[in-house]
Amino acid sequence: MGSALLEMRGVSKQFPGVQALKNVSIDLGAGEVLGMVGENGAGKSTLIKILAGDYSMDVGEILINGQKAVFRSPSDASSQGIRVLYQELVTLDTLTVAENLFVGHLPIRKGIGLVDWKEANESAKAVLRQMNIDLDPRTIVGDLTVHQKQVLEIAKAIHKKATILVMDEPTAALGEEDTQSLFGIIRSLKEQGVGIIYISHRLKEVFEITDRVTVLRDGQKIGTVRTDQANMAQLIGMMVGRELAEFYPKREIPVGEVLMEVRDLTIKGIIDRISFSLHRGEIVGLFGLLGSGRMNVLRALYGLDGYDGGIIRVKGKAVSIASPDGALGHGIGYMPIDRKLEGLALGLPVATNITMANIDQIGGGFFYNYKLERQEAEKWVRDVSIRTPDIATAVNSLSGGNQQKIVLAKLLETGSKIFLMNEPTRGIDVGAKVDIYQMMENLCEAGAGILMISSELPEMLSMADRIIVIAKGRITAEFSRQEATQEKLLHSTTL
Amino acid sequence: MADALQLEPEKSEKKRKKLSTTLILFLALTAMVAIFSVLSKDFYSFLNISTMLTNISFSGIVAGTLTFILITGGLDISIGGNIALTSCLVAYLFNLAKPVPGWALVPIALALGAAIGAFNGLFITRLDLNPIITTLGTMSVTRGLGYVLTKSRSILIMEDVTGFIGRTVIPGIQIPIPLILLILTYILLFFLLGHSKFGRKVYIVGANQAAARVSGIRVNRVKFMLYLISGIAASVSGLILTGQTAVGMPQHANGVELDVITAVLLGGTALSGGKGSILGTLAGVLILGVLFNGFTMIGFRYVHIRVFQGILLILIVALYELREKKRY
Repeated sequence: MGSALLEMRGVSKQFPGVQALKNVSIDLGAGEVLGMVGENGAGKSTLIKILAGDYSMDVGEILINGQKAVFRSPSDASSQGIRVLYQELVTLDTLTVAENLFVGHLPIRKGIGLVDWKEANESAKAVLRQMNIDLDPRTIVGDLTVHQKQVLEIAKAIHKKATILVMDEPTAALGEEDTQSLFGIIRSLKEQGVGIIYISHRLKEVFEITDRVTVLRDGQKIGTVRTDQANMAQLIGMMVGRELAEFYPKREIPVGEVLMEVRDLTIKGIIDRISFSLHRGEIVGLFGLLGSGRMNVLRALYGLDGYDGGIIRVKGKAVSIASPDGALGHGIGYMPIDRKLEGLALGLPVATNITMANIDQIGGGFFYNYKLERQEAEKWVRDVSIRTPDIATAVNSLSGGNQQKIVLAKLLETGSKIFLMNEPTRGIDVGAKVDIYQMMENLCEAGAGILMISSELPEMLSMADRIIVIAKGRITAEFSRQEATQEKLLHSTTL
Repeated sequence: MADALQLEPEKSEKKRKKLSTTLILFLALTAMVAIFSVLSKDFYSFLNISTMLTNISFSGIVAGTLTFILITGGLDISIGGNIALTSCLVAYLFNLAKPVPGWALVPIALALGAAIGAFNGLFITRLDLNPIITTLGTMSVTRGLGYVLTKSRSILIMEDVTGFIGRTVIPGIQIPIPLILLILTYILLFFLLGHSKFGRKVYIVGANQAAARVSGIRVNRVKFMLYLISGIAASVSGLILTGQTAVGMPQHANGVELDVITAVLLGGTALSGGKGSILGTLAGVLILGVLFNGFTMIGFRYVHIRVFQGILLILIVALYELREKKRY
């Protein structure tokens, strides 16, 4: 192979409190597709951001064609031929295809200094034709599909002489047909000698398109294997590898009658006839990859987004849920994935946040009863062990764990019996996690049911009594706690 | 005052700082009254103070309701047009060949204000339109309709009911009716914002609309109610102004938006939403009233005061912005 197209040697990066990367080395040859896999937080994004010049590394070096390269900014990286296609594409949606392609260097008509549109559109057509891409240069980019935008971004990168292309979850929002079309383009790029780093959660695709795969876990490289000599179980084993931590306070709680029954829940184009039930005393996990539709199920059941079909029964009675206050009225509470966005009024005090989903019950009639608010807030601060100087403190001065407990307290204050929890312990410290798991178990003992989404596998396997796997909007498998393993879950997401 | 201040909800660190803002405003008000009293011997007289308070009544009422809207992060600039159209409609109806009886004028005026407010509220909540643009449009429509209705003239209205609302002074205590209406409105709004369930929802919608929705608060209903109340308050102000001037005319309350927004912002309500108080707005209204009246008394001309007022508005916003930045 001679000297590799790209080499990253001994890369380490520390963030306050986290060692994001520890001595990671990768190499990429011309015309090669290198897969990169690992769980959330494994270090993939950090590594890519270092390669793109977004982050600086603490230790390590980058070599391009054997030459040492130093990236001080993203423009340094792109001048060395490195382009990253992020999951969220950054196209200029109000401009045309040609303008996007030539952004910053549109052809200028000599003399008067105006843009030569004819020339721009024709050379855009030529560039696209050369790459076998069927797009009209005059189309407004906002009207293109996700896949077409992606293709445009690739064309732009190649036009700017990119030799190393990084694709971050490129198929997350694509259907089967577009995925195959993308793979066709990747193969033709290979032939042109472009090196590609392909990041994906979808192992099936990784096996289809990559030459080698690098597995990262907890900021370290676990290994690189040739794709044709590896198998799925081996890769998954490398990805998860770790022992289940012992801090899951799971208790044996008898399962009671059905609390909520969902039949054929459908959201056009997103989820397709999903049916399941939730009993008293149990935690049901919804497992799936990004874009699988698991979050849409939760949001639909809480009335945040509408649904197109299906029957929802609460305690045996068919209900229609059109809004969050309707859901709360049926005893359904929701914990949002992003507490800062949808969970808390950050500038307001702890007490106000705890009672904000229950205002109509704080005091009788017209007046709001501040004394009752204080009593309720103080009760939950004690019961959920929220560490705060007092209930009048604004929540933005508290730690993430305590903020999450306030979101939980708010839910408990509503007296709901059915809890929809979207990543209940996202981004909080271990101590707070254990407290929240304890509360979840307490709720189950008190006869509640919890429907939980978690992208942390150990949490899912340890806390859920049953796990339903959703892939591409359909239920592909269901496992009891005893049956479920990390390998089985990950495998089911590829079905 | 101290008792009333302690009644304010939420004694967090931030709130305590804001309470002191209100206190500072009332201290500044006292100082201004003292200074003008020294500079002009006519300023500190019962007649002048009473006239001044009566003059700020109509804008004070709408400043109170606008406080709620600003707390939710919205804005209503159709207030002036609403006031003008109310006065025109009332005068027009009373001057028809077969005049509408005086007792019917009040409910008609209130219904008009409610309709304008409901119109704003519907477009802002249902279609999620920008409140500034929506109410800018309504402002133009209402004032324009005023010109159409009166054929661009002033219509004299010497009538008992509006005369009572605008011009009567309660004998014995010598307090004019508009001032009574202002005081009643502020008492009502004080409890509505600070001590009712509805007021709680207003603050939460302003602090984080998405979180309010997830918490089961009907965000659209809350916002709609606020624009409705604002519209009704504007028609009350329209009745007061009609009574005070005994004339319905489309130029009424021209530029009142500026006075009202300045007063609310001066009172410590943030344009970004989430905070504000009725007592603060009351202080803002009184300070502006004293400034206008005091400057006039010591010989400044109206046009100069206008220039000064614009500068004041920008200074207030800049000051609060700096204070906010310092805190973080």
